Amino acid sequence: MARRHAFSVFLASLGVLLAAASACAEAVSVAALRLSSSGPLFIAQDRGHFAAEGLEVTFRFFTAAQPVAVAVTTGDADFGVTGLTAGFYNLAGKGALRIVAAQSADVPGFHLSAYLATPRAWDAGLRSLADFPGRSVGITQTGSTFHYMIGLLARKEGFALARVRLVPLQSIPNMVSAFKGGQVDGLILPSSVALPMIEAGEGRLLGWVGDATPWQLGALFTSGRTVADRRPLVARFVRAYARGAAEYHAAFNQRDAAGRPVAGEGYAALMPILEKYTQQPAARLATGLPWVDPAGRLDVGDIRDQVAWWQAQKMVDPAVDAAAILDLGFVEGHRNVPR
Amino acid sequence: MSAPEARPVPFRGGGFVRRPRRLVSLSALFGLVLAWQAASWSGLANPLFLPAPAMVAAALWELARSGALAQHLLASLGRVAGGWLIGTGLGLAAGLAVGIFATARAAGMPLVSALFPIPKIAVLPLFILWFGIGEPSKVATIAAGVFFPTVIAAAGGVDAVPRSLVRMGQSFGLPAWAIVWRIVVPGALPSVLAGFRITVAIAVILVVAAEMIGADTGLGAFVLMAGNLMRTDQLLAGVVVLSLVGLSAAGLVSLAERLLLRWR
Amino acid sequence: MELLVEGVSHAYGALPVLEGIDLAVRPGEILSLIGPSGSGKSTLLGIMGGLLRPYAGRVSTRGRPPAGCLNPLTYVFQDFALLPWRSVAGNVSLALDHHRLPAGERRERVADALARMGLADFAAAFPRQLSGGMRQRVGIARALVVRPAVLLLDEPLSALDAQTRDLLTEEFLAIWQRERTTAVHVTHNLGEALRLADRIAVLSRRPGRVREILPVDVPREERSAAARAGRIAELHAHLWALLRDEARAADLELAEPARGGR
Ligand SMILES: Nc1ncnc2c1ncn2[C@@H]1O[C@H](COP(=O)(O)OP(=O)(O)OP(=O)(O)O)[C@@H](O)[C@H]1O
Ligand SMILES: [Mg+2]
Repeated sequence: MARRHAFSVFLASLGVLLAAASACAEAVSVAALRLSSSGPLFIAQDRGHFAAEGLEVTFRFFTAAQPVAVAVTTGDADFGVTGLTAGFYNLAGKGALRIVAAQSADVPGFHLSAYLATPRAWDAGLRSLADFPGRSVGITQTGSTFHYMIGLLARKEGFALARVRLVPLQSIPNMVSAFKGGQVDGLILPSSVALPMIEAGEGRLLGWVGDATPWQLGALFTSGRTVADRRPLVARFVRAYARGAAEYHAAFNQRDAAGRPVAGEGYAALMPILEKYTQQPAARLATGLPWVDPAGRLDVGDIRDQVAWWQAQKMVDPAVDAAAILDLGFVEGHRNVPR
Repeated sequence: MSAPEARPVPFRGGGFVRRPRRLVSLSALFGLVLAWQAASWSGLANPLFLPAPAMVAAALWELARSGALAQHLLASLGRVAGGWLIGTGLGLAAGLAVGIFATARAAGMPLVSALFPIPKIAVLPLFILWFGIGEPSKVATIAAGVFFPTVIAAAGGVDAVPRSLVRMGQSFGLPAWAIVWRIVVPGALPSVLAGFRITVAIAVILVVAAEMIGADTGLGAFVLMAGNLMRTDQLLAGVVVLSLVGLSAAGLVSLAERLLLRWR
Repeated sequence: MELLVEGVSHAYGALPVLEGIDLAVRPGEILSLIGPSGSGKSTLLGIMGGLLRPYAGRVSTRGRPPAGCLNPLTYVFQDFALLPWRSVAGNVSLALDHHRLPAGERRERVADALARMGLADFAAAFPRQLSGGMRQRVGIARALVVRPAVLLLDEPLSALDAQTRDLLTEEFLAIWQRERTTAVHVTHNLGEALRLADRIAVLSRRPGRVREILPVDVPREERSAAARAGRIAELHAHLWALLRDEARAADLELAEPARGGR
């Protein structure tokens, strides 16, 4: 009798403990890529910003942007952080996804993505960004960020995109081997891949995307359902994320008077966090740390531009409404908000 | 003692007969589409994950109207036809050699067994290095996928030709080429045609894979692009067209069987 | 044409099948070859036609083949060996297709062979549409179309039912009477041998040797006559006595395991 009593007391106290634990830490899963552009996320996690908001965050890592968006759509993850693609907008446009904050952006002075020409194409006259018409350019997939960046360039340089032959190659390694084999004339590549190739003389640098065509590269998003049903949770998550973004920005996005990168406040403390999550050595990460808005503010006008451009390409459903896929209520002071 | 009562012998035969039931096949297909549409109407199937047949039909119509369908279809059919013909031509030559010559069998069969299971998609990057990013690498991928099953079917067909027929040919003094051409090849034909059934399907599967890399037209490129863009209605429209292509190819093989194997 | 077999021995691996066979098939005669199962009859026939290389001894022909002969040593097979994808006419013309012949002669030869075997109306039929008897008629027509010098028949009628067999035997004899083609005829059926043969060679059980060569001393026309039934029965009894012991022993041998397959 006494034994049984003791047991039920134990059970009851266990129940209380569990209830307390779940009250103080809500489980949240986040889909992301192991890239430094997701740095704010990793910092918020390791520095305890999520925990401080009562969130117990687990990561689900993917290797491409598309699965991240799909994971959030299907409910396999609550939040996603990745680049903005045509596929993302098509999913979002059906009410499945809502953008709530910014990830990285291509901005002047930040060398994130390089335009490269093969030595042969260079010799044949591909020497500037205006020389792309009539050449072939490797991209990962139709509708990818690479596709969009070529589109931006066409717009800026005033040539028809149709005059560039886009060659979908599925992956960055495929792009690199097609480039080295001379099967495409040019590429856009992340700086971490591009710089060694430039040094080895395998590619000629034509410029940087951030300098030529700044744009909002990525975003933090969640599902339409989560925004509707768990709005306070989203607010807590974005708050913690923005704190991570501020620390990231302070450490990694600083420039000296001549525009050269300098280590900012907390650089030494935060770099190991990036190393840990991206599984890349610091030396490699340091060459291409992307720009992230310190408050997670979006370039709203740019996102509307993206949607309109994809729609003009007939790659995003004309029914998609750019305003409806944004929820600007979680971050103060988004930039470039159209009236 | 009175004569025992006569009892009728109970019937135990029947069944296990193959009879064409075209109506049943058609209504099964129709029923599936109907159930699918009903699920979409009732909201059971999320249109994001599974677009309704009507949406797929609309996407298909849009594709056909804009001329994109014809363009993709022609590009893919060209690759399928080229790759299949090359793979089949080489496969038949190798298969006959393997079936007829002991040396060729000893040399070829282990190679075929070793190379057949390699997924041709996995070596596509190699083909791109060898043949470039344009048509040749795609045609080569399909040809490689078609080649090995053709070798196996042709060699098996030769094995199935009764040796007594070959001896008969020899006994009438037929020269070797005539024995091959008039006895071995026609005798191997049923197995070769059965192989065609498989290889046309392989060709359609591989054209999709081959068009993953460096193609901007073709049904495979289209389906892949629709996937990348998350246009599930277009994706399914492409899949429907692909399966129709496969169905027509199988129909052509059936026709060839009916024409060439009338003697069976 | 005459066919000479001199000192032929043969073995399949370690299994001796024929030993010191000497036979002379005289021009224009039918020689029937009988012997227990496995005594090497088919092997001997294969050696005679040049389809098998004997392990010792030799086979030669003497004399001129008849005019228009395209394939001196011609087989008729037990299993007919017809190409299922060729029509009756196509199967017959297979034997001619690789020869340079004027198209007219080719057509004539085929038509003639088909007519002689009563197949004129079936020229376009496929083998699967024919009865066993009709199929062997095609097999014989295909042999006749090359105007053979020596016919080699390996149990040509054994796959047929008894009535068909009798009918075809008579027809074959009628054709043979005109051409007098030399023929070697392998059979298990003593009646058939006694109906067709000028001489009957009896092989012993494996390894096959020639035990006896028995002339059938009754003219062919009289063999079914009641008056000669006694002599035929005598010959039958003699052959049966020769074969019975060999056959019994061979039968026991067949039950032995681990024999090389064919
Ligand atoms: N290709 C072969 N390889 C090995 N052994 C063989 C082969 N062909 C026949 N034999 C064997 O040789 C022996 C003689 O065969 P063969 O076919 O010549 O006999 P047969 O007298 O024609 O017999 P049957 O009356 O059954 O037709 C048999 O024991 C048979 O099993
Ligand atoms: Mg035999």
